[in-house]
Amino acid sequence: MIDLKNDFPILSKKIYGKRLVYLDNAATSHKPSSVIDTISDFYRSDYSNIHRGVHYLSEISSDKYENARKKVSKFIGTSDPSEITFTAGTTDSINQVACSLKSILKGNEVLISGMEHHSNIVPWQLAGAKIKTIPMDDECNLLVDSIEITDKIKLIAISHASNVLGSVNPIKEITEIAKENDIPVLVDAAQSIQHLPLDVEEIGCDFLAASGHKMYAATGIGILYTSERFSDIMPARGGGGMIDKVTLESTTYLSPPLRYEAGTPNIAGAISVGAAIDYMQDIGLDKIRRHEHKVYSHARKRLLETDGLKVYGNNEDMCGSISFNLDNIHHYDTGLILDKMGIAVRTGHHCAQPLMGSLGTEGTVRASFALYNTKEDVDMLMEGIEKVRMMYS
Amino acid sequence: MRDHVQDNIIDQFHGLEWLDKYGLLISFARELEPLDEKFRTEEYSISGCQSRVWIRTYTEGGRLVIDLDSEAMITKGIIYLLMKVVNNRSAQEIVDIDLYFIEEIGLKSNLSPARADGLASIIRRIREVAEKEVN
Ligand SMILES: Cc1ncc(COP(=O)(O)O)c(C=O)c1O
Repeated sequence: MIDLKNDFPILSKKIYGKRLVYLDNAATSHKPSSVIDTISDFYRSDYSNIHRGVHYLSEISSDKYENARKKVSKFIGTSDPSEITFTAGTTDSINQVACSLKSILKGNEVLISGMEHHSNIVPWQLAGAKIKTIPMDDECNLLVDSIEITDKIKLIAISHASNVLGSVNPIKEITEIAKENDIPVLVDAAQSIQHLPLDVEEIGCDFLAASGHKMYAATGIGILYTSERFSDIMPARGGGGMIDKVTLESTTYLSPPLRYEAGTPNIAGAISVGAAIDYMQDIGLDKIRRHEHKVYSHARKRLLETDGLKVYGNNEDMCGSISFNLDNIHHYDTGLILDKMGIAVRTGHHCAQPLMGSLGTEGTVRASFALYNTKEDVDMLMEGIEKVRMMYS
Repeated sequence: MRDHVQDNIIDQFHGLEWLDKYGLLISFARELEPLDEKFRTEEYSISGCQSRVWIRTYTEGGRLVIDLDSEAMITKGIIYLLMKVVNNRSAQEIVDIDLYFIEEIGLKSNLSPARADGLASIIRRIREVAEKEVN
């Protein structure tokens, strides 16, 4: 077992006099000292605007920013950093794609799963597309063989891992079907980039979206991968820093990635993503994965063997989140009581109301894990659950 | 202005640990008459609460009666206290009342609009109903 809690200053905080057991990592993860230091060092000694100045600091800042882009591109398996755009987050990435593809999507359909986050539903609706879903079995696993492709479907947009259930979707099988039908695929990697190996070339998707803040980096920074064949789509935003030539009659744009980064970007945020990737790589991605798998399996096993508790979803491949409800106890009550024991979970619909409909519940209690969680955290959660039950008996 | 109903509640919570406070709220929740099924519908629900909360109001003998219910026990316990404090008053009194007990029993943070329990929305709705009645 590795224990990385010491790398994360906030985790030594006492909550209501108790040790903080932070199990709300799917919402956002905490930041290691190395990331915090990188951000503060950047502002202290290197900060300036990028790509614009001729001066010393501007060059350093630009280098650091572009270096972060390179790290991201390597981390998700593309050899070409220009395929990475920095955005404000997963939601922003998806909205930008929806905006850029609006003319194709309008009046047509986007195929998603029934477990998508609202961020992978609403942008398509705003672009004027109708939503179609891939059928699921009783345990919320996608029935890929039942996918029916029609001419109306112009995009498949699918989460790699569910933010509610933790199930990992068969995205490779989906991209294969998409390829046969020449339909682009967007992968929402908000809940997988911090847990699973990602290789966009292997996956074969055209777009991939993720958030920095869920992978140990700052808030307000996101990633959008766009494959080469979509490198000339219309930018969702216009402004400074992305143009080639502007006249009052017409404008030509720079090549990607700058073409998609109008205005001054979140420079420190991007650099923090680079630092977070360094942090994970220094520990070793395999080691992290093995550790997380142990903790997740322990949680799943203990929750499943608890009487009077329903665990949602069941997939061969799971990571990150696990959702449950105690019989006859409202998820909100469970969450409130756990909170007062220092255990942070999330309750409610987790921005996935259509999935709640399929699960037949208004909401769940969700425990979600990061690399710093341990089996002991799981045991504390289980003690907390026992306490909740006692209070209701 | 302080009133003895609220002071009484504050006394009951005085010196309790958090889990005991919640325990007390749960025991109050058990005493609350559930709202008739026909009022537990979308039409009577208050939005902005993570657990569904329903409100039914009517006047009886010059007094405004506020009936609340929720599916979550802790919310229901708070509702029970709210009903104890606001009921048996005229609409004008409800408009004017200072619900100081909430802060004093340690639930102030639950009043923030960002909180999922929507206590702020519940209170806002109660005041709206009372104001309408006054005008
Ligand atoms: C699967 C999934 N997609 C999208 C998002 C949205 O991410 P953000 O709020 O960082 O834009 C989340 C966040 O919870 C998520 O879990």
